[in-house]
Amino acid sequence: MMKKRLLGLTLACSMTAVALAGCGGSGGGTETTEPATSESTAANAGESTTSAAPVEAADGDTVLKWAVWDVSSTVYYQPLIEAFEAANPGVKIEMVDLGSADYQTVLATELTGSGSDFDIATIKDVPGYTTLVNKGVLEALDDYIAKDSVDLSQYGGITDQVTVDGKLYELPFRSDFWVMFYNKDVFDNAGVDYPTNDMTFEAYDALARSVTNTTPGEEVYGAHYHTWRSAVQLFGILDGKNSIVDGNYEFLKPYYEMILAQQEDGVCQDYATLKTSSLHYSGAFAQGNVAMMNMGSWFIPTLIEKIKTGEYGEEVANWGLVKYPHAEGVEPGSTLATITCLSIPTSAPHKDLAWEFVKFVCGPEGAQVVAETGTIPAITTDAVVAAISGMEGFPDDEASAEALKTANTYLEMPVHEKSSEIETVLNEGHDNIMTEGSTIDEGIEEMNEGVAAVLGQ
Amino acid sequence: MANQKTVDPNAVKEKLAKLEPRLLALQKELSNTSDKKKQNKLIKQIEYTQGKIKQAKTGERLSRQAKRDLVAYSFIAPNFIGFCVFTLVPIIFAFVLAFAQWDGNNAMKFVALDNFIQAFQNDRFLASLKNTIVYCIATVPLTLICSLGLAIILNQKVKGRNFFRTVSFFPYVASLVAVAAVWNMLFSPQKSGPVNMILYNLGVAAKSLPKWSADKDWVMFTVVLFSVWKNMGYYMVIYLAGLQGINGELYEACSLDGANTWQKFLYITWPQLQPTTFFVTIMLTINCFKVYDIVYMLAGGSNGVLNKSAIVLVYHIYEEAFRNWNLGYASAVAMVLFLMVLAVTLIQFRGEKKYAN
Amino acid sequence: MKVQSKSYKFWRVVLYLVLIALAVLMLIPFAWMLSASLKLDKDVFIFPIQWIPANPRWQNYVDIWTKIPLSKFVLNTSKLTIIVTFLQLLTSSFAAYAFAKLDFKYKNLLFMAYISTIAMPWQVYMVPQFIMMRGMGMNDSHMAIICLQAFSAFGVFMMRQFYQGIPDELCEAARIDGMSEYKIYSKIMLPLSKPALSTLTIFTFVATWNDFLGPMIYLKTESKKTLQIGLRMFISQYSSEYGLIMAASVLSLIPVLIVFLALQKYFVEGIAATGVKG
Repeated sequence: MMKKRLLGLTLACSMTAVALAGCGGSGGGTETTEPATSESTAANAGESTTSAAPVEAADGDTVLKWAVWDVSSTVYYQPLIEAFEAANPGVKIEMVDLGSADYQTVLATELTGSGSDFDIATIKDVPGYTTLVNKGVLEALDDYIAKDSVDLSQYGGITDQVTVDGKLYELPFRSDFWVMFYNKDVFDNAGVDYPTNDMTFEAYDALARSVTNTTPGEEVYGAHYHTWRSAVQLFGILDGKNSIVDGNYEFLKPYYEMILAQQEDGVCQDYATLKTSSLHYSGAFAQGNVAMMNMGSWFIPTLIEKIKTGEYGEEVANWGLVKYPHAEGVEPGSTLATITCLSIPTSAPHKDLAWEFVKFVCGPEGAQVVAETGTIPAITTDAVVAAISGMEGFPDDEASAEALKTANTYLEMPVHEKSSEIETVLNEGHDNIMTEGSTIDEGIEEMNEGVAAVLGQ
Repeated sequence: MANQKTVDPNAVKEKLAKLEPRLLALQKELSNTSDKKKQNKLIKQIEYTQGKIKQAKTGERLSRQAKRDLVAYSFIAPNFIGFCVFTLVPIIFAFVLAFAQWDGNNAMKFVALDNFIQAFQNDRFLASLKNTIVYCIATVPLTLICSLGLAIILNQKVKGRNFFRTVSFFPYVASLVAVAAVWNMLFSPQKSGPVNMILYNLGVAAKSLPKWSADKDWVMFTVVLFSVWKNMGYYMVIYLAGLQGINGELYEACSLDGANTWQKFLYITWPQLQPTTFFVTIMLTINCFKVYDIVYMLAGGSNGVLNKSAIVLVYHIYEEAFRNWNLGYASAVAMVLFLMVLAVTLIQFRGEKKYAN
Repeated sequence: MKVQSKSYKFWRVVLYLVLIALAVLMLIPFAWMLSASLKLDKDVFIFPIQWIPANPRWQNYVDIWTKIPLSKFVLNTSKLTIIVTFLQLLTSSFAAYAFAKLDFKYKNLLFMAYISTIAMPWQVYMVPQFIMMRGMGMNDSHMAIICLQAFSAFGVFMMRQFYQGIPDELCEAARIDGMSEYKIYSKIMLPLSKPALSTLTIFTFVATWNDFLGPMIYLKTESKKTLQIGLRMFISQYSSEYGLIMAASVLSLIPVLIVFLALQKYFVEGIAATGVKG
């Protein structure tokens, strides 16, 4: 008897499922084949709220949904929201954490079709931005920018680098750039002077070699390069003469020669070992036997925090910052940048309010809030630099504060229709050269051919 | 019975007059043919006609066959309906996509076979196709042998059997980060890595020691070994369950005939395990064709991009679908994968049927 | 006779040696997990490995409960896993009976439809599936995960293979006795297929328990998220906490091992019932 009843129940359940699928399936079909018009967008967004959290809060406040990652470990979200809500009564911001590792995949899936109810989307990187722009799911911001006469020059030219076909689809609120971290104790022990804000690559190489110790058991590495392609390859674009997407990579040769020689002589750790052991750059630096490491400014708050909590011991407590080394004849302070931006999806239910939020966060008020949390905002004024270098735990020498001032910044990956395909080719070339699976010339040839094939498509 | 109705004797007679001569004719034909295939076909037809005659005589609306079908469908329905809605429908949609260009958002554009042509001109696709096939050919037999061997050993009276069984299942359930880290540690590219240390002591020159998963010539080899080790326990569990189905009397009878262990394996264990082996082989083949996460963990590095030396089909699908949002192209590649798996499965199905006969 | 027993002993010793070597090889990852779970993140991937941490950090096992809502995640995962496993067992064994022991129209066609979908990588139909499910209002709900996982073709295929190993004569005899197919299924097949059912339970349990990508795409609200998403929360954009991840992974292994150990009994029971000896 029991079994029969159970069977009936199961059948009934599956029947309901089918009935549901009947309507849902056909709805989904039309939804995906039609290019989304604004009317259907609004209708769909209205529908989908029945399943998701209600967009209108009970007390009549409008709730904007903001797609973010790492809610618990990112310090500036909450202050930004509080500041915005204080300035805009009647609007509430709700964060939805999509996770950091697969953020772009999840966000792009969510924005596919037109059933999403996100009002604001954070954009993590340039390839992800390009993808979303190509998919046509982001709203162009130019009209809004013109209407409120937002001054784009305050972003130091970065917005020009993310303009696609004359249109801008995102505004940056956070900007990180690469600097040289160094461990003062290592230099003191070796009796060598600290690195400076004005180093040529030759000087940098000589300095790294002078503090290296290859005795087994007491190794000291003069330099450390994380396994990312950016850590080595992008030395080459700092002179402003070459671009990483133009298809000819001969200019990378001297930099690869320098770093492979360092690897051979034990000045830096072996790439293959780093790759297979998945050692994070922070772990490597925290061991206290790395003299210099080039890394993004995002590592500054992490380093300060971990030294404060005691997770990183005495070995790295005495650290400093200098500007990136530069090629002969180039102004010091040229570096690479990574930006974090805000966009408005085309399917957003409250576009005008969303714009208010974007304008606030990416504007001067937002920048001040971000800087107070120790993060570098996209708008860098002297006040911002002072706020960061004045933080507790930041190195107190002049040079470190000076290192935060940049001259020219180049995006790690410029906006290009094929940026993710090019990225793949360059990664492979980098990997082959660094594991010595190919010689430098072969590796560069592979990159030239590979990128040519991608561009030719 | 609800479906019983009053029988109209005339209609019945009419029907029978048609059916009975046909039955006779079929029976005659059956006795004349010697071809096995044809015989089977005829027997089926005869059974069908007999069923019809019975249906006509009793006057039931549904034939016995139809009723049997209904019962069978009722068994399948709960699973099949769920399966259809949530898996089959999206898959059929993906089939259609293979012939279109679509980024998930803009209007779909029908492009016929363009996606396939594009795939076969793409270096990364060709590399992934080659790697996947090599990986399958190496992994399937190795895993099969290892897991069967392990299952047979652990099906015997061995002290600590439960312990060993649980332990073999470990690499399968342990966190992938942990297993990959351990494997990359054993096969460290350094001279001081355990495996390289052995090779070095065996006289391999320090310069020519393989860099294993960071070496474009050795990476697939490392991945194959890793995958056998990680998945052995999983298929062992299936074989263990299969071994319980073998009737113990068979072994006893065999022992009386004086068969040794090898003969017992050859004449009882192996044939009796045929359905299990069939299942394991298909699942293994499919899972090998679908391999992705272990290659990614082992050879992906910090940016998670696989090189041509290690790229596999599903990774290629993944990068095209989610990094470049070429959903149509990704579906086309999936179709190639699907056709290969289908071909292998069909061949094995043939084999199973032949064996059953 | 004497010689034979000597060689028997020899092989026995070899067998144990091989088994122990294998066991060690299989246990290394677990040892690594344990050791990493007691370390600070900066020391986890240092080479060469320090197997016994100098300052074991037991605090990791406390931190995982406070840094993320782990107990809520465990609860969600348990709920999903139990429901999915139950549905999977019930519906697949049911369907498999028909495929293995009944004759009906389109049987081979339907079965091929099942098997061929196993071959389709999920990444391919993930997007259309997501759009469809969202249309059905299942975005950000546990129902979505249940529907995705509970009706897999794998279960049907596996159960069918095991049922085929059970002699047809048993069913025929029961049919002649006038038993209905439903009764044959519940009274004869189900009790006989305990080893297969326990195997399927283990596999479904492990798969659902460890599933990551599905929950990642469908579940957005923190209170609905699962354990595996929780583990990923320790990896943030600029830093990761592998010590904590491993501590949580060690804990998350416990239910899986309990299920495995509990069901292993049925393999042994099967042996006792059929009387196979080594």
